[in-house]
Amino acid sequence: MSSRWLLLMLVLTRSASAEFFNEKIAPLLEARCYKCHSHQSGKMKGGLTLDSRSGWAEGGESGPAVLPGNVEKSLLIRAIRHGDPDLKMPKEKLPPEEVALLEEWVRRGAPDPRGAVAVEKKTDWWSLKPLTRPPVPGSGHPVDAFIAAKLQEKNIARSPEAGRNALIRRLYFDLQGLPPPPAEVEAFARSNDPEAYPKLVDQLLASPRYGERWARHWLDVIHFADTHGFEHDVFRPNAWRYRDYVISSFNRDTPWPRFIREQLATDTFFPDESPVALGFLGAGPYDMSAAGTAPKAFEYMDRDDLVTQTMAAFVSTTANCARCHAHKFDPITQEDYFALQAVFAGIGKGDIPFDEDPVVATARKRWNTLLAAANTAASALLLSEQPLVTQWETDRGGAVVWEPLEADVFLSSNGAVLTRQPDASILSNGPRPEIETCTISGTGKLPEITALRLDVLADDSLPMKGPGRADNGNLHLSEFEAALFEPGATEPRKLKFSRASADFDQTDWGIARALDGDLKTAWGIHPRVGESHHAVFELEQKTVLKLGSKLVVVLKQLHGASHIIGRFRLSMTSSPGNVATALPSTVEQVLAIPSNQRTLEQQTVLAAFVLKRRAEEELARLPVRAKVYAASSAAENERGVITLLEPRVIRVLTRGDLDKPEAEATPGALSAITPLKARFEVKNEAGRRAALADWLADPQNPLMWRSIANRVWQFHFGRGLCDTPSDFGHMGGIPSHPELLDWLAAELRENGGSLKALHRLICTSAAYRQASAENPGASAIDPDNRLLWKMNRSRLDADELRDAVLSTSGRLDLTTGGPGISHFKSSPGPQATPSLDYSVFDWDSPGASRRSIYRVVWRGIADPFMETLDFPDAALLAPVRGFSVSPLQALALLNNEFVLRQSEHFAARIEKLGSCTGDRIRAAFRLAYFREPDPGELADFTKLADQYTLSAACRVLFNSNEFLFLN
Amino acid sequence: MNLHCASSARSRRDFLWNLGGGLGGIALAQLLGRESLGDEAFLPRPEFNGGLHHPAKVKRIIQLFMNGGASPMDTFDYKPELARLHGQMLGPKEKPEGQTGAVGAVMKSPFEFQQHGQSGRWVSSVFPHQAKCVDEMAFLMAMTTKTNVHGPGSYMMNTGFILPGFPCMGAWISYALGSLSDNLPAFIVLPDARGLPYNQKGNFGPGFLPARHQGTLINAASSQPVPNLFADARHLFATGDADRDSLVLLQKLNRADATAHPGESNLEARIASCELAAKMQLSAPEAFDLSRETDATRTGYGLGNKVTEDFGRRCLLARRLIERGTRVVQVWSGPQGAANNWDNHGNIQTELPLIAASVDQPIAALLADLKARGLMDDTLVVWTTEFGRTPFAQGSLGRDHNGGTFVTWLAGAGIKAGVAHGRSDDLGFQTAEGKTFCYDLHATILHLLGIDHTRLTFRNAGIDRRLTDVHGKVVSEILG
Repeated sequence: MSSRWLLLMLVLTRSASAEFFNEKIAPLLEARCYKCHSHQSGKMKGGLTLDSRSGWAEGGESGPAVLPGNVEKSLLIRAIRHGDPDLKMPKEKLPPEEVALLEEWVRRGAPDPRGAVAVEKKTDWWSLKPLTRPPVPGSGHPVDAFIAAKLQEKNIARSPEAGRNALIRRLYFDLQGLPPPPAEVEAFARSNDPEAYPKLVDQLLASPRYGERWARHWLDVIHFADTHGFEHDVFRPNAWRYRDYVISSFNRDTPWPRFIREQLATDTFFPDESPVALGFLGAGPYDMSAAGTAPKAFEYMDRDDLVTQTMAAFVSTTANCARCHAHKFDPITQEDYFALQAVFAGIGKGDIPFDEDPVVATARKRWNTLLAAANTAASALLLSEQPLVTQWETDRGGAVVWEPLEADVFLSSNGAVLTRQPDASILSNGPRPEIETCTISGTGKLPEITALRLDVLADDSLPMKGPGRADNGNLHLSEFEAALFEPGATEPRKLKFSRASADFDQTDWGIARALDGDLKTAWGIHPRVGESHHAVFELEQKTVLKLGSKLVVVLKQLHGASHIIGRFRLSMTSSPGNVATALPSTVEQVLAIPSNQRTLEQQTVLAAFVLKRRAEEELARLPVRAKVYAASSAAENERGVITLLEPRVIRVLTRGDLDKPEAEATPGALSAITPLKARFEVKNEAGRRAALADWLADPQNPLMWRSIANRVWQFHFGRGLCDTPSDFGHMGGIPSHPELLDWLAAELRENGGSLKALHRLICTSAAYRQASAENPGASAIDPDNRLLWKMNRSRLDADELRDAVLSTSGRLDLTTGGPGISHFKSSPGPQATPSLDYSVFDWDSPGASRRSIYRVVWRGIADPFMETLDFPDAALLAPVRGFSVSPLQALALLNNEFVLRQSEHFAARIEKLGSCTGDRIRAAFRLAYFREPDPGELADFTKLADQYTLSAACRVLFNSNEFLFLN
Repeated sequence: MNLHCASSARSRRDFLWNLGGGLGGIALAQLLGRESLGDEAFLPRPEFNGGLHHPAKVKRIIQLFMNGGASPMDTFDYKPELARLHGQMLGPKEKPEGQTGAVGAVMKSPFEFQQHGQSGRWVSSVFPHQAKCVDEMAFLMAMTTKTNVHGPGSYMMNTGFILPGFPCMGAWISYALGSLSDNLPAFIVLPDARGLPYNQKGNFGPGFLPARHQGTLINAASSQPVPNLFADARHLFATGDADRDSLVLLQKLNRADATAHPGESNLEARIASCELAAKMQLSAPEAFDLSRETDATRTGYGLGNKVTEDFGRRCLLARRLIERGTRVVQVWSGPQGAANNWDNHGNIQTELPLIAASVDQPIAALLADLKARGLMDDTLVVWTTEFGRTPFAQGSLGRDHNGGTFVTWLAGAGIKAGVAHGRSDDLGFQTAEGKTFCYDLHATILHLLGIDHTRLTFRNAGIDRRLTDVHGKVVSEILG
């Protein structure tokens, strides 16, 4: 049979099968099954859908519903036969002929031509459509035009503008998270300036308090905390720098696309800036225990957390739902998901160091580059710094003069025989101990000294001619110590050395090890045995040798196996330390040649030596680096510095199971966002993150612009236009005003991503300024106020409430930035996690009254007071804060030490503001409510205060709904 | 500014509030828990005996959690093969992920096993008291888990997920059924006096459920067990009469504010919460006052004996709390750390008997007490741990983590007493048959409460989350 025939038959069979499916099976499935198993009904019982081929092929929780060709094993058939008591579908048994039809369909191999249609349907979704700016439906403020259009459809009128007090209080809490100063409330209420309100908006946006408030929202969204939050919940002392970065980014109004790039890949985009923005990558929990004992599973889950966080925060996408199978509802494939994992395959969480001062950062970079060049003898770079080399040679001057130490005492600790030689050296012979400590004491001729020198000398009497007494001629000097005994002194003075150098270092047994205070490390000279070597120890400070002073030198040789020195000589010099240095013989040889006659190679040898020394000196002088808790290819955590030389290989995993790896994943993002490129052709670690940042921040990424525009709206109105702000997929909410959302997103894109401009726009709208009072007529039509016929009334959140109490009590401390304040007493726990006691904190201690954003958030041991007020669990991304009411919350507000102590402070404050209880109560009402008490209130509160002190009255005010809620 | 309530729930709740006081049998506290639910608002249904989807057999739960990984083959899972193979190197050649040390030789149990009761359950000598109760228990002999690291393992047994951030079973039950009384929190956690378990408070968190469903952490040994129930005594302006009069003024003020802002259910809810707080102040101290128990009862639970004092006190407290309307009480044995818990890496023979003795008598006393008071008719007691231990020695005398198989038992309402389901292999290393995961245990517990585990959901980040994820099968073999 020719291939053409074969093809034709195949086509015919296919079309016949399709016909069979379309005519017989599809209507049956639709009539009998779609009610509980389809996208159109919105029900996917058991996770199963039957409206696409992939729906039944992937199946639900119990696995594939249909195994083509296998009637007996197909769950769908078992279910419709009603033979299995645990699996009977649908409830009412199908007529026998329909059961037979479905059996036949499976037997024929379950032909189903629908596959592609369903996928297309998934991409036809509001949030994925290209972003274009819709026309404004009317005149005036664009926001109001969109809102009014919807309200008119339902014949609802917008509420009147809120009262002046309500308005300024709303705006202050919204933009700063704090109550307004009473004087400003009064001035605003009295002002006739039509520009008073917009001016206030500008003023509040310009204040540093704004960043403190809005940073809190972002930290919620990305589950930032100051501790690990897992089995062991350990403090991250350097996490706060990222918190400060977020605050300052909001205050500086960093354009949103730049904010994205900074947080994912500052190191690539802005290499000269500090990496604090990368704290984003370290925001989530870290399981140090699993990282140690179950690294494979841990790293997988940790990357999952990072993928989830990144995609939820920036593009409101639940990419993580595609870990085990293609996303059930959104166009995200498993390959997309693992492409995202591959982006983060080369980093691990921990501290990364950086220089806070850019000048220092530049210097460090320069010296590190030179150091690397010296270590690799990179000629061109080294010779470009020739002036430094010439300067060194000039400073060095002539040869160094070394005066021998006139030893009068020399002792072996372990019975070797030490004898003095004519050249002032000392020879060790006789019994050969395993280890040795030589103590030499003597005087010197010099009035002052800058360095000591130890020569270890070859000698025919030693094994392999020495200079050591080990069988192979080697020696190990564990530690070199020296002290000065001045005349009349009762104690020797220990001399401190700044640096050691030697003409030759055994690999991994360098001379610095003789000064490191560690008796397990030592200097050695193998394999260059049979020749003399020397080392120079530079003193930290020039030391005066008074007449009669004794110099005592101790040579510790504790390695064992008789790695002891065979013959040595000690001497001293007064030449500058920089000059008195032991030079490798190769360098000595170059120096012996006049500088104008040296070859390029010889110049490189010298430059490498000089510049290495110089770079090490310079680097040692630089201030200690700061750290930020983030993630990087080299990050330091409890397990030390974990370095990943290249990204781990990421494979697509069948059903997300680590034991079922398939094809290697290419770094990338979502395929469904055209025209953005879904896969990144970059190999290196940082490049992958940068590519994802570019993908996210692309002007053509509609999800990103909609996501942030919606979040901004959400925090102004208490609810987003789409009320699932981190999920714009099919399982998320549908925007109440899709055109308005698109218009705002487009506006944000056009203004370059300035959030402050967006705030200004929203806050000046009449929709934002309207009253929050109920309107029964409107409520009957739109009970949830989705159309915004009034402002939403809200309770202060945990942070606002705490800051408001402090502000009202007069105790608020507006110090900005720096390490967080712990509102607990910490004591050692049974293991790594400390035991925290929030109940004993002293609310009058320094820093206790700072804003809540500066509080240490212990992920797994939440502050019970903040927790009961719905401060989110930082194990979770919290795009929306909960709002709960419970008796335990009421008890916390009434009796928590914080509230009680602030009630006393508030009482002390109003005490000074009046001469009688009545006046003081009036002052309290002005500070807490921005109004005067009515006569009944005044009488009640005066009575309470007179009977139980002003503190009792203040406690009631803090607990009242008028204080807790915003109109 | 925050506002979180799903659409139709709000109007529905308003409707309920507008009914005024006539709330007929539904605890006010429970009503407070009704917000933010969708169409399928969960309300316990009288025709289902307080269940949601079918008749409930259980109304309250005491969960006993042995922190650290209680060894099955040294307690309830008798393995004579271990004695025969003792000393042979039969374990995995390479250290499995999650174990802390090298895999040693097969190690027999150092404890003597005997059969007990009508059912003939084998129990080792470390549990002489529980051994007398085996005929009331149903055993899951082949429990298994996905991890053998404490943190993820404890998350899994409590929340069904190995990662942090998910609600624990107690929170789900509080969310589903609310409280039985206005006087006490619905879900109370009683940690070991020596410290919190692995994951700290993560094991009893509300996850994405509203904050009020979190476990209320009670320090049983403290003079003020319910945090913030009263102001500290040194604040005279907030205690005694001052507190009472302040609360009266507060409620007056709040009512006036609510009148000025009609139709605002959140203002009304706050007023109700303050009323409930006052009720709790009246009744909680009595609930926590163990001196009201007879000496015989106290001695029975092991109070007055240093070994059993702490766990015994908390078992007794658990009984008092469920008696007074708390839904779920979780009692922990052992803090995290290298000692005083069930994580016996070093020496099974010396470490296990101590911790076992600290819980054994109190547990037996609790079962007897619940029975005597008729509470067993609607109470479920669950004994579990986060994973088992290796049949191979760690060092030469200890046992390492093993997620392969471990034991859980249940007793009380709805349970087929005296049965065992599942079997581990001859070494007690992996399950052999009748394997059950936490999903199945949770599904079974929810089933007993009248809840279909597949229908108890909460939408979070695009997924209708369940306690049982996408798994779980009710273990009908242990149901009576």
